Amino acid sequence: MNRRLNFCLALYRHLASAYPHEFRMLYGEDLDRLGEDAVLEVWRRHGLPGLLRLLADIAVQLPAMYLREIRQDVAYASRVLAKSPGFTSVAVLSLALGIGMCCTVFSEIQSIVGPPPGVREPGRLVTFWWSTASYPYFERYRDAHQVVAAATAVLGPVPFAVAFDGNSSAKAERFYGHMVSPEYFSALGVTPAAGRFFSPETEKPGMPPVVVASDRFWRAHLGADPNAVGRRLRLNGQMATIVGIGPKGFQGIWPGYTADLFVPATCDASVAPELSGDPLNRHDREIFRVVLRLAHGVTMPMAEVTINTITRNLDREYGVPSGPDGKGRMLRLMPAGTFMYITPEQHTFVNTFNVVLWALVLSLVCANLANLLLARGSQRRREVAVRLSVGASRPRLIRQFLTESVLLAFAGGLAGIALAFGITRVMSSLPVPPPLEFNCQLDFRVLALTLAIALAAGVGFGLVPALSSARVDIGRTLKEGAQAPLRGYRRFGSRNLFVVCQMAVSLMLLVVTWFVATGFLNTTRLNVGFETGNLILMSLDPVRDGYSAAGTSALFAALPDELSRVDGVRGVTLTGSVPFASLTSDRANTQVASQTGDGLGGQTLHSVFRDFIGANYFATLGVPLVGGREFDLRDQRRGELGPQGAAVPAILNQTAARELFGGENPIGRRIREGERNYTVVGLTRDVPSGFLVTRPVATLFVPLSAEWFRKNPAERITILLRATATRSTQASVRNQLASFHSGLTVFNVRTMREDLDRLNAFVEGQAAVYITLGMFALLLASIGLGGVTAYAVARRRKEIGIRMALGARSRQVQALVLKEGTALLMTGSVLGLGGAYAIARAFAAYSETLARTFAMRPNNPALVFSAPLVLAGLAMLACYLPARRATEIDPVAALREE
Amino acid sequence: MRKQDASSFLPLHNNWFHILLSLVDDEQHGYGIMQEVLARTNGSVRIWPATLYGSLQRMIADGLIEESDDRPAAELDDARRRYYRLTRLGRKVLDLDCERLQEMIRMVQRKRKQEAY
Repeated sequence: MNRRLNFCLALYRHLASAYPHEFRMLYGEDLDRLGEDAVLEVWRRHGLPGLLRLLADIAVQLPAMYLREIRQDVAYASRVLAKSPGFTSVAVLSLALGIGMCCTVFSEIQSIVGPPPGVREPGRLVTFWWSTASYPYFERYRDAHQVVAAATAVLGPVPFAVAFDGNSSAKAERFYGHMVSPEYFSALGVTPAAGRFFSPETEKPGMPPVVVASDRFWRAHLGADPNAVGRRLRLNGQMATIVGIGPKGFQGIWPGYTADLFVPATCDASVAPELSGDPLNRHDREIFRVVLRLAHGVTMPMAEVTINTITRNLDREYGVPSGPDGKGRMLRLMPAGTFMYITPEQHTFVNTFNVVLWALVLSLVCANLANLLLARGSQRRREVAVRLSVGASRPRLIRQFLTESVLLAFAGGLAGIALAFGITRVMSSLPVPPPLEFNCQLDFRVLALTLAIALAAGVGFGLVPALSSARVDIGRTLKEGAQAPLRGYRRFGSRNLFVVCQMAVSLMLLVVTWFVATGFLNTTRLNVGFETGNLILMSLDPVRDGYSAAGTSALFAALPDELSRVDGVRGVTLTGSVPFASLTSDRANTQVASQTGDGLGGQTLHSVFRDFIGANYFATLGVPLVGGREFDLRDQRRGELGPQGAAVPAILNQTAARELFGGENPIGRRIREGERNYTVVGLTRDVPSGFLVTRPVATLFVPLSAEWFRKNPAERITILLRATATRSTQASVRNQLASFHSGLTVFNVRTMREDLDRLNAFVEGQAAVYITLGMFALLLASIGLGGVTAYAVARRRKEIGIRMALGARSRQVQALVLKEGTALLMTGSVLGLGGAYAIARAFAAYSETLARTFAMRPNNPALVFSAPLVLAGLAMLACYLPARRATEIDPVAALREE
Repeated sequence: MRKQDASSFLPLHNNWFHILLSLVDDEQHGYGIMQEVLARTNGSVRIWPATLYGSLQRMIADGLIEESDDRPAAELDDARRRYYRLTRLGRKVLDLDCERLQEMIRMVQRKRKQEAY
């Protein structure tokens, strides 16, 4: 035989030896021999091409053969899984729930703290920490090119009354939008889907109004009209031309406060009352939120230094007082590329908290899966031994086990994805008050990571029993059945370790989620301290209805009197901000200095929240004053500075009084806010200022005055009415308003109870997620313990049979089984409580927000003891069921069986 | 093994047809089948070794052929080889496929006759 033939034959044999084990067992020899027989004949007949064809044939058939085996494995695995529906459904369900919950929790949070959709490089965007700036200041920040690549000023969300068919009598609908500097879209890196966006070249001050509509607005209200660019809308009574449509998904820089319309701030003031009073040129109208895009390589602290230098220079230029310490203002920056306007502290906290939750749930799922697969693996040792003895190869067996776990993991993964989609959809549909928007999108990176880890765990733990089973002693296993000892399986081996971990993690999850959920629910069930059912709220926006500043002022001066005469109205008041209207608390928005009695002593600055309220506010709410009097109509009619700069009356809440004056009586004391002087005339008790807040905010109440209406014409005012009968009174009030002020649009008519319920629904929805997470932890832990106990019972069947044959009673057998479960449960509980305590401490140290929730609770015995008790109860039930089954073992059958 | 309908195998794959045909008279081993197909088709059809054993494995799994314990006369027997023979199902499938082919030939012939007129 020549060298070519020898080489070909060697290659042929080599390829033939790579064929699957089972095929080789049956046909290996024949295949080798056929090759040897054929090679000479092929060479003679076809020459080299023939030899190549022979080799190609065996090479091409090789992967096909393996594919065929894999197909068989999948079919076999499906049959095996279908035969044990209990195991399969529990494994798939726990995987699905785990993946679904993990993705949901994370995606939900990402939709609050994550980057806004449609914005380029959101990580480089920063804004001022809870403060606004005037337009001239913004222009100087924008031009600080050494640190700022681009900048924009945003005013909003601003309501617009929009009429679609141009004529002035058309019914207007309210939409929210942003008034923006012309650089808005270029600074955010957003490109139009149609038409053009604003630019400093095209948007000159005082030019006729133009508007950019969001993609959502275009679809929902312009009928996705391809010729929408160029169409005209009536905005607040003025015609505005649509010049562009935003890209899909873009809802403004903070989509949490959704914006559908974007109007340049350079437009004529007639299109939006917010622009009246020439805010573009007034340094004292600090109404714009400034968003800066940092230059490459510039960090936030670096930018802060430059921005503060600019601010101090400008303050000196404009003669702005540099504050009591003379150091000048210090502005802080925070990331702006988030869905909502949230602080970095909240951002990091929320992220960390959810990563921890995510890791806990995922480890729980993995531990559960590991338990199930390990227990099942050891139960199948007999099957493995039988298959090995009839010629199955060990690699094939391992592959078989692997196929089963991959199949299981995929089924669980698919169900998990479906669940995650379902939950996020439901959560997105939770009602939130406008202009807030909560759009929970599934985060695909999280989904991919969760899936990968869950699949890896499934495959990994599926492989462990396969590997150890494949090392099984065939003869002994066949002889002794499932009792044969297996290497690596000790009594307190890996499975028991997993159960202990599972118990611990479940308990940690349970306690932590319970903390959070009760915290949430406690804030939602806040005791507002007054009856909300018959408190009617209605909003008015007279400026947008065409009232002049003087007309608005006159209207609000007359309204309380007019409305108090309506049937069923027991009290009327006006307010600038609706109590409890927001999810988070009102932040301090000004600084005041308290003065000693003589007005000459030392001053200390305090941050307070300043709220403008009308006469009889507390009486209408039903909150009695602790001391002094409340504002009357005279206070409301007076100018804000009072005659000759005299002190304006003010009311403090108890927290503010404590902070400003310690324990002393505040009535009659003086407060300074910049150039303004206040005299404290009343003291009210603390009323919760918002949701998710447990600490009252120091609040300074100042009377709504004619001066205020003149200065802030664009602020909308809410009328609060205390009524005897809600429905009929609402109608009478509407009639009264319609007859006296026909051009006035009344909107957002609701009772405060409805307002609170809507917010409650949102917060309760969030709490429900955490509660579900806790329940899920419970369920998984119980399944795990139940599975392990059931396995232990199966393993000790013969032993239990012997015990019962020797006269053991049912109770003794049950105790025997329960003892092992209890030991695992106790160990897990101790570890879990320790872990939960550590997590709670870590979070409390880390975040002020949840610290308050946690701080209220670690000493709460109900929580600390009830969580382990509930877990123990369920776990013991999970143990009891197999224990009871153990007592039903027929000793004779058990002994004969093996 | 579940009972399969013979017609579900139709039309037979070319290799399978030749393998079944080789086993009609007698049991054969793999090399014998390969040689017979070659001889019958004057060398135009060759079933290569891996394809042959892949097909044999699947045909056994499908119940068309089976291993045979009957060995040929001692002087012809190669003790190291496995022999295969048709099952009843295999024979039925082959018959059905032959009928199918004959019917096709008849169709072609009828068509030719019509064209000739």
